[in-house]
Amino acid sequence: MPAGTYTEEVVCIQRTGTLYDCLELILDRGMVIDVFIRVSLVGIEILKIDARIVVASVDTYLRFAEACNRVDLEFDRSKTVPELLGGVAGGGGSPAGRMATGLGKKKAKKAVAGVGEKVKRAVGADEEEEEGEREERASRPRRRTAPTRRRSASGPSEPSEED
Amino acid sequence: MTAPAPRKVYVYGVVRASHTVPPGRTGVGERPAPVRTLRAGALAAVISDAPARLRAKRRDLLAHQDLALALGRDGPVLPMRFGMVAPDEESVRRQLLCTQNDCLAALERVDGRVEMNLKALPTEADLGSLVREDPEVSRLRTAARRAPGYEASVRLGEAVAHGLKRRAAAAAATVLAELSDVADATAHGPEVEGYVLNASFLLDRRERRRFEGAVERLAAAHRDRAELRLTGPLPCYSFTEGRS
Repeated sequence: MPAGTYTEEVVCIQRTGTLYDCLELILDRGMVIDVFIRVSLVGIEILKIDARIVVASVDTYLRFAEACNRVDLEFDRSKTVPELLGGVAGGGGSPAGRMATGLGKKKAKKAVAGVGEKVKRAVGADEEEEEGEREERASRPRRRTAPTRRRSASGPSEPSEED
Repeated sequence: MTAPAPRKVYVYGVVRASHTVPPGRTGVGERPAPVRTLRAGALAAVISDAPARLRAKRRDLLAHQDLALALGRDGPVLPMRFGMVAPDEESVRRQLLCTQNDCLAALERVDGRVEMNLKALPTEADLGSLVREDPEVSRLRTAARRAPGYEASVRLGEAVAHGLKRRAAAAAATVLAELSDVADATAHGPEVEGYVLNASFLLDRRERRRFEGAVERLAAAHRDRAELRLTGPLPCYSFTEGRS
């Protein structure tokens, strides 16, 4: 899939025909004919697959509060939350990595790992197939967290506690 | 002479009867069946045999989407919502005949056009200005500094999250208004958690670059408040009705 890479600088991401950015349209728009049967969509949920999307949770709130307290109202007019939370240390510049260097880093990592799990479940991937296909997307958020993992005792097989 | 049991068919979309399906296309399912057209009157449905155990897998969603995109290159197409299965070919034919006029009008409407989808989400850039401009955030920040603690932090963070969302929604409303002026039609998409805008625009294929340019300018202008994500060209999922 010719998906664009997420970078902090890109404000407008142009991707042609990508699936995940319009999943809700494929599932919820398009023509419907009443007398036809609809395939069961059990297990499908419209989801956030990007760790940067702000999810209303206590962890997010605490992260914001921390960042907020570091805003220097006199001199600092440009910094973003990740920068305020300690720059690129350990994150290799990836948003998820940077987020994970700040407050609640363990939770953030889990959330990111959980995103991959959700994607797999959402598209109903069977265990025995599509391994290669889904790898591309599902593993991407995980790889981002790799640099911070070495600080974790539980290693890469740490199960997701999200959901 | 026994009639074969009716076979269920998966329907990908509706096209004009004159529309040819690119050869060699296959559809959804673990062992994808060949795609064919089923003509009735001035219309044709693009179908394949329905797989026995169809679920919404990534592979199937992609097959559905790719076929709709491929069909769109040779003429207008009304894409079906994912997962529409008809009990047999005859019911598809009947359906085409009794909705012929509406479908022809809808095909006319999307002829030569594409759907572009725009989503907007809050951005954490420029938190400083939120602290300065949002009285609630400012007040809670002062309070949290005076009496730090978990409770105070959660309240402050919550106010920040709401502030960011409000700010993004306001920016998105401006963007929507500007883009609606240059699009042939606008449709709101389903709400998606985490986003403050999900809208689709119907555009003349030839206007696409110009539209993308407009989105880029708006994205730059509002980058401190909202992040814009443009996806497309897509099959015209949101514009399958004859009129808006």
